[in-house]
Amino acid sequence: MKIQLAKVPVVIFLSILLVFFYLLTIDRNPSKIPSNLLNKNVPYFETKNLIKDEIFISKKEFGKEVILVNFFATWCEPCRNEHRYIKNFATKKKLKIIGINYKDNPNKTKKWLEELGNPYSDIPLDKKGEIAIDWGVYGIPETFIVNSKGIIKYRHVGPVTEKIYKEIDLLINKIE
Amino acid sequence: MLPSLGNCALWLSLFFAILQFIISNKNYNLKYTSISVFGLLITSLLSFFVLIYSHIISDFSVLNVYQNSHTTKPILYKISGVWGNHEGSMLLWIIVLTFFNYFIFKLLNKKNLIFVLKTLKIQAFISIGFILFTILTSNPFERISPIQENGLGFNPILQDPALAIHPPFLYIGYVGLSAVFSLSVATLSLNNNEKIVWYNYMKPFVATAWSFLTLGIALGSIWAYYELGWGGWWFWDPVENASFMPWLLATALLHSLIIVEKRKSLQAWVLLLAILSFLLSVLGTFLVRSGILTSVHTFALDPSRGMYILTFTALLGVYSLTLFGIKSKNFLDKNYFTLFSKEGSILVNNILMTVACAVVFLGTTYPLIIEVLTKNKISVGEPYYNSTVIPIAIPAILIMGIGPILSWSEDKKIKFFKKILPSIFLTIAMTVFIFLIYESYSIIGIAGIILSFWIISNNFFVLIKKNNKNPISMIIAHMGIGLLIFGITGSTVWQKEKINRMKINENTKIENYNIFFEKISEVKESNYVAIRGNFLVYDNDQNIIALLEPENRYYPVTKNFTTEASIHTNLFRDLYIVLGEGNLDEGWIVRIYHNPLVIWIWIGALIIFIGGIISINNNIKKLKILNK
Repeated sequence: MKIQLAKVPVVIFLSILLVFFYLLTIDRNPSKIPSNLLNKNVPYFETKNLIKDEIFISKKEFGKEVILVNFFATWCEPCRNEHRYIKNFATKKKLKIIGINYKDNPNKTKKWLEELGNPYSDIPLDKKGEIAIDWGVYGIPETFIVNSKGIIKYRHVGPVTEKIYKEIDLLINKIE
Repeated sequence: MLPSLGNCALWLSLFFAILQFIISNKNYNLKYTSISVFGLLITSLLSFFVLIYSHIISDFSVLNVYQNSHTTKPILYKISGVWGNHEGSMLLWIIVLTFFNYFIFKLLNKKNLIFVLKTLKIQAFISIGFILFTILTSNPFERISPIQENGLGFNPILQDPALAIHPPFLYIGYVGLSAVFSLSVATLSLNNNEKIVWYNYMKPFVATAWSFLTLGIALGSIWAYYELGWGGWWFWDPVENASFMPWLLATALLHSLIIVEKRKSLQAWVLLLAILSFLLSVLGTFLVRSGILTSVHTFALDPSRGMYILTFTALLGVYSLTLFGIKSKNFLDKNYFTLFSKEGSILVNNILMTVACAVVFLGTTYPLIIEVLTKNKISVGEPYYNSTVIPIAIPAILIMGIGPILSWSEDKKIKFFKKILPSIFLTIAMTVFIFLIYESYSIIGIAGIILSFWIISNNFFVLIKKNNKNPISMIIAHMGIGLLIFGITGSTVWQKEKINRMKINENTKIENYNIFFEKISEVKESNYVAIRGNFLVYDNDQNIIALLEPENRYYPVTKNFTTEASIHTNLFRDLYIVLGEGNLDEGWIVRIYHNPLVIWIWIGALIIFIGGIISINNNIKKLKILNK
């Protein structure tokens, strides 16, 4: 071991600590993930629709009313847990909800929705996860609100809980 | 009244720690050192017991009790609730710290005076840091006024027997590494004329820390498996990584100490490993408690706490690593050895362990580093760890199998091949046997089974050999690793999962079992209400094997739902049932897992621990003789 080499650990250690110090001093919430897409137009995509025979084309669907977009999959346990809130948005709040089915098997999805109930008006299939990449999805479930001009106004990463449900509920009244 | 006594004892322990720091010097009378060591031990114990007592009698004038307890909680969880929260766990940390401080003090004699006093000084500094942290940012004796009628309750997923003892074991591991750190720094700061057999002092502490860390991690894993109801036992969560990284380094450390002892080689490297493994323990604690990363272990998020721990870690790290940078040249040696020898195999494994640790570290901190540099958030998950850690683990395990057989200094290759021939045959025979039973073939499965039998059979032949020179502790611990790998392979490669909606009186099949949903009932306990499903498990001949009763619990105090998996275990497989949501008309969502060989993971971990305990004992004996 050369003498210079012996100083490498302290240098590496200090640089890692600097990163941590910086992270501590800036205002951040690790579960709140800023979206580059906020206040931008919905990314364009077209794909098969699970419950309708026609192709789902994003341009046609967005931009008419406030829409909740929910990325979900049957293999995702938190999706199952948040499902009752998503259903509440559909039944109690009369919101249009588009459920993007992420890397899933259409037959399983159909069964899943038979079991749990279907709150979605359209279910575009994202078999390869490409749509999710365009939307900057971090991990499913994720929920977005798109306003009536087709602009993304809100994003939540992770399952919708009681608290988030109320938060979204308040927001929806403000979004047009 | 009593909580004030606890608080007072905590302040007194700070006083004794400062006293110890100042007078751990050969110019002072040793009597004062002993007063400070005992004072520190007694006062910190006192404050810890006061907190336990406050929890037992549910003294809701104490904020910590109010926030984490409730009168309806069973006594076991009233006690384990003491360290199930941030403030109380810091007190546990301090207790362990002062015990190790005491053990170091016990080593003190005329011959090693300078060395042990230096160690005690550093240990005192670490104690001051953590006691001050507790008093300033996380005082468990903070009061609440007016006195509350009842507490907020304790997070129900933490109400589990394995989790009750998981933190104490883990902390003995983490904090045991503090003693290793202090010994290493003391060694580095010795003058050339004061050299001492520091590695013999370090070994029992490393063995202790490593054994308890191993079992502590396993207990956490058991908890995740039984309580979280996800069917798995390891999720590469940042907190799991935070305990896995020091474990990897401690493993490397434990083994390279043998080389230092035998060959006086690698001294500088071992001193560095000792420093890094404790720094990683503290850094892990920081990552988890500062709220920088989110995980199941995230306690109350508080940046001021994070800032404190980080500053303290910076102090420890900069001091020790700079000292290493300056003084390590005194520990360089020219005692080379060949690669094809026992020490060679240990060295290669050392490198592999360290690389694995670096890889896990990179995975854990990469998202943070990327965030700072590019403002983007990314996540690193299981696929990364599986594709990086496994390829490193495979050669490490292969080498681990032959390590015990290789001789010190140098081995003749042909002679060596003859020695391993029986284990090669045994490995092949056992592997074929296993695959005839499970009839499932995948490359990872084959590799895992071969590796585990490779270790087991090699150690078996070493064990039955006449005039075996390998310590029994090593053989036991290595066998444990073999069994652990056996369990890991079986449960990951052959796991079967079935999720369906079942109504009462319906059947479903998994593997060779028929599962009948008999009934559902309501259960009421003091701290929760639950619905419980009764599932009868039949084998192919229609014999009843087991009654499984998974529950869906609701804890009214904390308003939490938890799922309690119900598991039937035998040596070959676990049947694991989780009850999801549902109702009488539509049926319930039922998740059933068939997890082969899971129990061998826990058995393996326990055997490793037993091996570790024997090794602690041997090393303490050796040190006692040396110290005479």
